[in-house]
Amino acid sequence: MAGMCCGVVGEADTPSTVEPSGGRQARRRRMEIHQLKFLATTASDVAAPPPECCRKRRKVENLETIEKSVVVEDLSLPVECEKVVQPCDMMRKEDCCLESSSETEIVLNSCKSTLETVVETVQDEDESRFGVTTVCGRRRDMEDAVAVKPSFCGDDLHFYGVYDGHGCSHVAMKCKDRMHEIVKNEVENGGESLEWKDAMATSFTRMDKEVTEWSEGASISNCRCELQTPQCDAVGSTAVVAVVTPDKIVVSNCGDSRAVLCRNGVAIPLSSDHKPDRPDELARIEDAGGRVIYWDGARVLGVLAMSRAIGDNYLKPYVIPEPEVTVTERTSDDECLILASDGLWDVVSNDVACNVARMCLSSQTPASPLRSPGNEVSVAGGESSDKACSDASILLTKLALARRSSDNVSVVVVDLRRNL
Amino acid sequence: MKPNITVIMIEHENTEQLNFHSFFDSWLRELNSNLQKLASAASHHHDNDQIEDDSDLHSLIHKVVGHYEDYYNAKSKGAKEDVLSMFSPTWLTSLEDALSWMAGWRPTTAVHLLYSKSGIQLEARMTELIPVLSCGDLGDLTSNQMNQIDELQRKIIRQERGITEKLASLQESAADTGMVDLSNMESEMNRKEEDSGGKDIDQRVKSLLKTKKDDLEEVLHMGDSLRMETLKSVLEILTPLQAVYFLIAAAELHLRIHDWGQKRDAT
Repeated sequence: MAGMCCGVVGEADTPSTVEPSGGRQARRRRMEIHQLKFLATTASDVAAPPPECCRKRRKVENLETIEKSVVVEDLSLPVECEKVVQPCDMMRKEDCCLESSSETEIVLNSCKSTLETVVETVQDEDESRFGVTTVCGRRRDMEDAVAVKPSFCGDDLHFYGVYDGHGCSHVAMKCKDRMHEIVKNEVENGGESLEWKDAMATSFTRMDKEVTEWSEGASISNCRCELQTPQCDAVGSTAVVAVVTPDKIVVSNCGDSRAVLCRNGVAIPLSSDHKPDRPDELARIEDAGGRVIYWDGARVLGVLAMSRAIGDNYLKPYVIPEPEVTVTERTSDDECLILASDGLWDVVSNDVACNVARMCLSSQTPASPLRSPGNEVSVAGGESSDKACSDASILLTKLALARRSSDNVSVVVVDLRRNL
Repeated sequence: MKPNITVIMIEHENTEQLNFHSFFDSWLRELNSNLQKLASAASHHHDNDQIEDDSDLHSLIHKVVGHYEDYYNAKSKGAKEDVLSMFSPTWLTSLEDALSWMAGWRPTTAVHLLYSKSGIQLEARMTELIPVLSCGDLGDLTSNQMNQIDELQRKIIRQERGITEKLASLQESAADTGMVDLSNMESEMNRKEEDSGGKDIDQRVKSLLKTKKDDLEEVLHMGDSLRMETLKSVLEILTPLQAVYFLIAAAELHLRIHDWGQKRDAT
């Protein structure tokens, strides 16, 4: 990513030319918000910001070429200045939630508690705080699936998974339904001598086996692919799974979804995309007798643009379900973990994503006595959702769509800060 | 006798086309004037963010939605008279015609329009150094709104597919047994240069085509209903100011594509 710059820009450095509207000036003063600045880092922008209209227009035209960075100043927003969640919106949303799918359950939960007055929640360090956004975006088929399972195995182990299906959605859906249960089972089997890498590798293999057996045995389906072989064999999914323990982050990845840790403002990828042209993957595929053909990007046998996946029976043994597992010790500098499908990563760099997420987190540092409605952590049905994380996941999703992502976009943001 | 009937039918259809054509031209002019009103309302609220009274926006939105409803009512009336002219609209440019679905705009484009406009407003704000959290425009879509839009999009896609399938069946029925049988009978007759039985066949052709036209009218109606339903659903998800921004984007796109198409057709 060219042109990333991170720094502190004081109010005095703000070019006054870009603020033509008196209303906005007034609002900014009134709100006394320390600004969040997204600066284009092309030389001309830094040297002499052109008038607003030009900036806007060029921005639109050169969307792909201008890489922006987020410059975050002091972000301790006064609570009363935070985005006001309008009660009428919430009411409407709840009506909608009642008839909508389980994917909006989390939102429903948060609506409910908002409507009930302010809930004072004492932050439990082991409690999971996260935000999830998953949208169809500019595609006509939804093949992403997200699973968030706080306390999925004991109180202090939390599970987050993003699955990006291809061919059809059924493998991704199956992963969403089953992966955490399999992982739980493996973790319990491991007992005291649990080896995370082994447990996760076994889990992925079991998941893959289940998918294969299920497709073979299933007779009724309302999938797009209608489970007709051989098409059904050509269905698979990425899987990026994070298990967060009190002292570790265990990320297991298969495919081109990605997990990124934000630690002290730095984006640290915890997974490495499985692309067919990654030198070690290319060697592995060719050793197994497969070929990588460049046809609209590097593809295994000219078909699949990733080198590992759950499912995709017909591409075995070139495409394998074996995950790469990283185990990272948590530190007090850790801010958040972002898991997302390539709908985000194709258009937003790790660094930008990290900055956007930490900006949202730090702008809403929960300060219990001042907590405003709509900002509280809601807990219902064993799932909790957090406003700041939710803002982060939604903003990242909107940014992906703004940057013309043409894919489904799924983003999970997990708050890793302690001692709030 | 036979040629006369044809001439009368053509004249009749032309009248209907001309009627709708002139209606459409004046409808577009009104769309343009609505666009001016929307734009000035938006800039008024944008510059005076202390305005809390949305009632002017509400009535403006109501007016603009009513204007779209007028269009579909006129279209539906026109289709009753002559559904085929609605499927080969002389009032649209070839560019608009090429982009159309069921003789109109594809309903899911509303969601894409929303995402595109929202993205442009979000990105513009990021370069403008405005606090990210509040502007009241489409860049501000909340998590609730995004979820609702996503739900809506999936629902519209399903309904679009249903209607597309219906049109597919209808188009396939162009070769159903009745059509093939009649086409053969008339061809045989032409070969033998027979006149007897001609009237009978004309009658059968007319009634067979009538069922096709009725089916087309139904599909057209389904398409138009989904368009209107989509528009209203999107507006319901948005705040009044956001709705105004959306209607501005929709009108601008509509009018400019028409202009671009006209320029191209003139060359």
